[in-house]
Amino acid sequence: MAEGFPMLLAGFFAPVEIGTTPLSLLWMFPLLLSIAVVYKATRLRVLFWKQFVLEVLVLFLTLSGFMILAGMVLNLLVWLITS
Amino acid sequence: MPTKSNRPFDHTFWLCLVAAAAWAVPGGGHFLIGQRRHAYVFFAAIVFTFLIGLYIGSIGIVDPVGAKPWYLAQILTSPVIGWIGQIAQKGDYPVYGRPQDYGQIYTALAGLMNLLCILNAVYRAYSGIGETIGQEEEHG
Repeated sequence: MAEGFPMLLAGFFAPVEIGTTPLSLLWMFPLLLSIAVVYKATRLRVLFWKQFVLEVLVLFLTLSGFMILAGMVLNLLVWLITS
Repeated sequence: MPTKSNRPFDHTFWLCLVAAAAWAVPGGGHFLIGQRRHAYVFFAAIVFTFLIGLYIGSIGIVDPVGAKPWYLAQILTSPVIGWIGQIAQKGDYPVYGRPQDYGQIYTALAGLMNLLCILNAVYRAYSGIGETIGQEEEHG
């Protein structure tokens, strides 16, 4: 635990290793979640937690679904062009 | 919270104050107009996004000289980013490849999301949304 904090702090001074693998695309999901949270919070005049969480979840799933679909379509296009 | 009628200063000044607070601290504008829940959500989401970006790419991604367009978006998060940029300029922090791209995308988007929050806070202050439902929100 005592070593954890300096290690975490050191993480801000050197880049994280991200390989050129399909797994690296998972980094888009935290970003999609923040976009969903901020966008929904700007849209709601009054923020009730239960309704807010539900709406964020729906938007996050919609965005994620669209991004996955877009990735699949682009991959298919590249495959069609190159094959 | 001061309302339009009992506020000791001009409405334009109030709007500028809300915008400045929203820029200084993400969610600060909403906090000022009484929309505390919105303020907490904005603060958590924007700071979290920015910190993830900084963690992925290192503080070297805040580069006011070599990556000016990214920096313009990053500085919208808070004036503190200018200070981080100064630190990054003085030190020799490695920045490269994918971590740099991901870090820049995260931090720049945090800034752009804060711009959305600034505009939203000013709009709410202008239209008096915080004043009319601020009390109601506390009990909601």
